Amino acid sequence: MIRIVSLRKAALAGLCGALAWTAVLGGLQFLGLRSFDIVKELGTLAFASDEPLRWGAVGLVAHGFVGICWALVYAYFFWSRVNWPPALQGLAFSIVPAMLALFIVNPQFELMHLHRDAVPLTWDTVLPSLSLAQLGGLLLGHAIYGVAVGAIYTRPLGYGAKREGRVPRSVPRAANKPRDGRQAGRGFMFATGIECSYPTIEHGRWRRDEMAATRHYARWQDDFELALDIGITHIRYGPPLHLILKGPGSYDWGFVDEALAYLHDHGPEPIVDLCHFGVPSWLGDFQNPEIARALADYAGAFAARFPWVRFYTPVNEMYVCARMSALDGTWNEQRRDERAFAHAAFNLARASIAMTDAILAVRADAIFVNSESSEFCQACCPEPEIQRIARFENERRFLPLDLIYAHPIGDDMRAHLHDHGFADADIAGVMAHEVPARSIIGVDYYEWNERLIDSDGHARALGELFGWYVIASQYYDRYKRPMMHTETNRMDASDGPRWLWRQWHNVQLLRSAGVPLVGFTWYSLTDQVDWDIGLSKAVGNVDPVGLADLNRDIRAVGLTYRRLIEMHKDQPGYTDCPALAGLLAS
Amino acid sequence: MSGFLAAHGYDPGPTQRPFTAGAIAGLLATPPAILLLHLLRSLAVEARILGLPVILTIVAGCVAMAVAGALYARLLGRAANDVRGGWLFGMAFGFALWAAGAVFVLPLLGNGELPAGPPATGVFLSLILWGGCLGALLPFIQRRTHLKVDEPGVAENLGPTLAARDPAKR
Repeated sequence: MIRIVSLRKAALAGLCGALAWTAVLGGLQFLGLRSFDIVKELGTLAFASDEPLRWGAVGLVAHGFVGICWALVYAYFFWSRVNWPPALQGLAFSIVPAMLALFIVNPQFELMHLHRDAVPLTWDTVLPSLSLAQLGGLLLGHAIYGVAVGAIYTRPLGYGAKREGRVPRSVPRAANKPRDGRQAGRGFMFATGIECSYPTIEHGRWRRDEMAATRHYARWQDDFELALDIGITHIRYGPPLHLILKGPGSYDWGFVDEALAYLHDHGPEPIVDLCHFGVPSWLGDFQNPEIARALADYAGAFAARFPWVRFYTPVNEMYVCARMSALDGTWNEQRRDERAFAHAAFNLARASIAMTDAILAVRADAIFVNSESSEFCQACCPEPEIQRIARFENERRFLPLDLIYAHPIGDDMRAHLHDHGFADADIAGVMAHEVPARSIIGVDYYEWNERLIDSDGHARALGELFGWYVIASQYYDRYKRPMMHTETNRMDASDGPRWLWRQWHNVQLLRSAGVPLVGFTWYSLTDQVDWDIGLSKAVGNVDPVGLADLNRDIRAVGLTYRRLIEMHKDQPGYTDCPALAGLLAS
Repeated sequence: MSGFLAAHGYDPGPTQRPFTAGAIAGLLATPPAILLLHLLRSLAVEARILGLPVILTIVAGCVAMAVAGALYARLLGRAANDVRGGWLFGMAFGFALWAAGAVFVLPLLGNGELPAGPPATGVFLSLILWGGCLGALLPFIQRRTHLKVDEPGVAENLGPTLAARDPAKR
């Protein structure tokens, strides 16, 4: 799939563009300025020129249809390729159909209007032969069309945050193949995930919804069957919190009941992700201290409704969420200040702790996979300021995990928090809780997680320098808890298989070093949408990172993962994973 | 080109058979186009320009459309399997074939004549129709022609030694 396109919006844009062209040039004709009459050109291919009603109707319909087709071409191939105002993008695009019309279509239309079946090939028959007024009309018509299409076709995916609807409903069909169902086992977790991010952008006005963009709402059963075909044992799964949690104590479960029932009956076993980069609009954003209580109620309700679910990620990637929302200004509150970051990190950590407690109140043996993005900053040079920035960022990455695991915060970070309004009592207050024994640290890794602090103090992507083994070891050394590789993928689809094996070799090395590792995840099952721009705009770019594409056709990396799982699943240490067994015994 | 498409995820991968699926779709999309050519007298005019009997013109057309379908499926790769956009990509491909083929190649292959009047309209519309049918059919044919994931040999070249591959090599 090239793009996620709103067919309805593109069709509307194309129709409006065609009508605007017809209206403006028709108006000019009415004023006596004879130019290029596209409706007549098209209509008289079917009816004689002395039947204006007939050719007018056919010409209008044909012009509208051609307008729609070109608008779809714009939507698929041109829209947002350049960072220009939308109307200007449309105007630039209109050069393409204008040139085709001028040099190819119009000369051919002249041939089509002849009352002969064939003509000798001469230059006159293939070159344009328009008067200056006709040429001007043709170019003006295309320009009007392009501006209209560009102005109308924007934001092809997502929806207004104030108009969030209900959770989609769905009736499951019979399972293609009977499966064993949920495995309450102790085997190594060969996992994937369904990408489910739902932050808001445009200062809370527009909702991104990755499950909608990847068509999971419509194809959830295909997705689960595909995962089972690959051999996946566990699936990271985040029901759409922003649609389910309607208000305090009010839930709309929609298709989630059927989807979870399928996972229960057939597998893979879900690792339920309760908050993934966004909250319902009525809760505002991550600056709101009330989110902890609201999300705890939701977590408790979820656990009560689906009491068989064992694995939970209360809040996904708290550091990334706080950073993108409050420091980088990309999502949700879209703030760019240290104080807002600290508030977001604390609120997310409080929410995670409260949600964990709420789940444990329903299911005391629940297991928590606290996923976090592995981050590492390397100073480029010995200047003290550059060294300080790298050291500080390498402390900052731990802040949310430190809070939920009640790990002492480093002196630099503590001083920073004091500077931004947090007293020691506030920190101690968050940390005053019992950390569940059944907690797993999920460490995600992508090629951009390692950064170089350059001589200007800016962070630059470093690629895979030290690798997951080294960075995950830093997280293990700090928290000493069982670990899981909870996300990785590769934007370059052709390099996916190589990347998968390299990540897997990292996992094996860490296992052999004695770190209790319970699972590995290729994230996600299908391609994602707009992650190349961090979901910052509603563009519709398809990122080919999935085990399968958005048509649900398996990619080479999906076949590779299938082979990897088959190769290892029956090996000692994988059929019965000692790290998971140890956790379950705790 | 293929490297660019692979990086963008359009590479069909080891399970898909784009040439086969494209050729079948191209062939299946041809009868409606031939019907349109016949209704607008384009078939007879094309046969005359090419100096072939009508039946041979149809056979040549079927072969050419099967080859064009295979080419379309390989060029677009996974993008051609998109049910929602396939008809549009196919129509665009049909338009390109018309612009390149009917306008330039046909006169060069024939006796120096160009179709005109309704036959010229027929050639244009038939290629647009053919492209639309090709693009709409291909996703469904692809699903029936691709290899199953558990078929032997599918993942033959995807073993652990890939970790040592030069990432610049596709």
